[in-house]
Amino acid sequence: MSGNVKLELRNLTTLYKSGDGVRNINLTVNKGELVTLLGPSGCGKTTILRTIGGFIPATSGQILIDGKDITHLQPEKRPTAMVFQSYNLWPHMTVYENMAFGLKLRKVPKNEQKRRITEMLELVKMTGYEKKYPGQMSGGQQQRIAIGRSLLLQPDVLLLDEPFSALDAKIRSQMREELRKIQTDLGITVVFVTHDQEEAMALSDRIVVMNKGTFEQVGTPQEIYNHPVSRYVADFIGEMNFIPMLDGSTKAVRPENISVSHGTGKDLDGYVRTIMMLGHYIEMTVDTDIGIVKLYITAEEAEQYKKGDPVTLTLGDYRTYSDHQSAAK
Amino acid sequence: MTKKTWKTYLLIAAMLLPSLILALGIILTPMISVVIQSFQDENGNFSLEQYRFLFTDRMALDNLWYTVWITIVTVIGAIAISYLLALYLRFCDTKISKFISTLYLLPRFVPQLVAIYAMMTVVRDSGLLNRISQLFGYNFKPGLLYNAKGIIMMNLWFNIAFATMIIVAALAGIPDSIVESSRDVGAGKIHTFFKMILPLSFKDVMIVMTFIFMSNISSFTTPYIIGPNHPKLLGVYLRDQFSRMRYERAAAISVLIFAFSSISAVVYLYTNLKEKEWEKTGL
Repeated sequence: MSGNVKLELRNLTTLYKSGDGVRNINLTVNKGELVTLLGPSGCGKTTILRTIGGFIPATSGQILIDGKDITHLQPEKRPTAMVFQSYNLWPHMTVYENMAFGLKLRKVPKNEQKRRITEMLELVKMTGYEKKYPGQMSGGQQQRIAIGRSLLLQPDVLLLDEPFSALDAKIRSQMREELRKIQTDLGITVVFVTHDQEEAMALSDRIVVMNKGTFEQVGTPQEIYNHPVSRYVADFIGEMNFIPMLDGSTKAVRPENISVSHGTGKDLDGYVRTIMMLGHYIEMTVDTDIGIVKLYITAEEAEQYKKGDPVTLTLGDYRTYSDHQSAAK
Repeated sequence: MTKKTWKTYLLIAAMLLPSLILALGIILTPMISVVIQSFQDENGNFSLEQYRFLFTDRMALDNLWYTVWITIVTVIGAIAISYLLALYLRFCDTKISKFISTLYLLPRFVPQLVAIYAMMTVVRDSGLLNRISQLFGYNFKPGLLYNAKGIIMMNLWFNIAFATMIIVAALAGIPDSIVESSRDVGAGKIHTFFKMILPLSFKDVMIVMTFIFMSNISSFTTPYIIGPNHPKLLGVYLRDQFSRMRYERAAAISVLIFAFSSISAVVYLYTNLKEKEWEKTGL
């Protein structure tokens, strides 16, 4: 076994009384790596995270950190720290008390506590907020403190359960960047759970795409974006056009891999439906026999077309899936 | 917004008048007349005799301390049991806890008299428990009636349901993530209880305490039926004096009960009005 592995899940199965849950999960996370569990709600990603944190008992299998089996330890005995989606800070304690709580339990001397908390507040850019109560801060500020509070305890593995999903878009992307910076600077190992594929793409070293309690694909953001192994992954990650073929298979093409020209006779013919300005690129939708196809073009290209124009599309890089769902789209 | 003129104020006063008259008529007037009466002797002259009697007479003092003692034991007992029950209902998700959570409110729906007589048939010295023990050759006499134990038991029976209901609601307001994040940073169950759960539900516990105190300091039905002849609870003592037509003394007892209730009302208002700094912006 490589000495680089921080966290390992071996045949992990966690089932609820209802019979739902995750089965036979195998995953290794390397030291300093940020791995994201990505999937729609109910796919089991949070279940895995909470099992690692010790909040749900594993039904069978093993969780190892640095090669040590922690499967049956209580949450307070595990070298993990978790940041929850919301209501994460203790409302009756100030920021300072929130951060000092875990240090006190570890019997860190008072001045050492103070030094470390001051440092951490600086790192999460919250210096000066020591005496504030959680209710007096914005959601973004609260999550900064929550992350800081977890990092203070120098956990072996940091677990983040959709920590930014309650924040508005701008703060979310800002927090994302900062988290990524702190994570790479400190070299901490992180398991991140989200249903937001954009967030997963932006943050992760590796992404685990989940579907109904199983792993669909594990890989770097590039691998998953460029080579989705299944139609499910292709559909979940990024924008994708699914074009049914006569033989029952489906061609999947990213909007940026389709080019458009006037006239007819290329891969697909149709009429321009909408042309929408989305910042530095333009999204065009085209009505074709097989439905609406989406493509991205440049502003110069867009000027040559207007709504209702007959156009023909050329499919560039595409993948073919031969599953039965294809007729549905 | 229009400027408030004397006409507006007159309108406000006119609209408040009916409720003001009602309050004066049915609350304030009798209260004042009782207070006045309590400072009179049998001939209607001003006198402190009634209070002097209540605080010097052996039997009256017995009654007073007996009432306070039973009420305090009831409050502490009800809160302790209810808190444990509420913790169990909130944090243990088992079939038994679900079953209890559907049942525990039942005492709220049983009329007091019915409950007391039902309990008597079970616990009196010739009651159900005694009969069962006789089947096994024993002669078990619970000895719970006509003494403090019986009153306290009955008080608990009535108040645990109410107290549990409020505390369960308070505990339900504490998100799981607060408890979990406490465990996560290394606090054990007991530490988490004292540092997180108790401080976050303390206000509600105080409120329940004042409610139980107020309703039990003046309790009548339970001690009247299963209480001893001496000492008596103040409620029974009051009726006793009233039926002997010692109206001035009865009035003084009323004022005394009212004074006790006022103390807990002050505690109630204080805990309710005084927001801790962290509560100001809400959770």
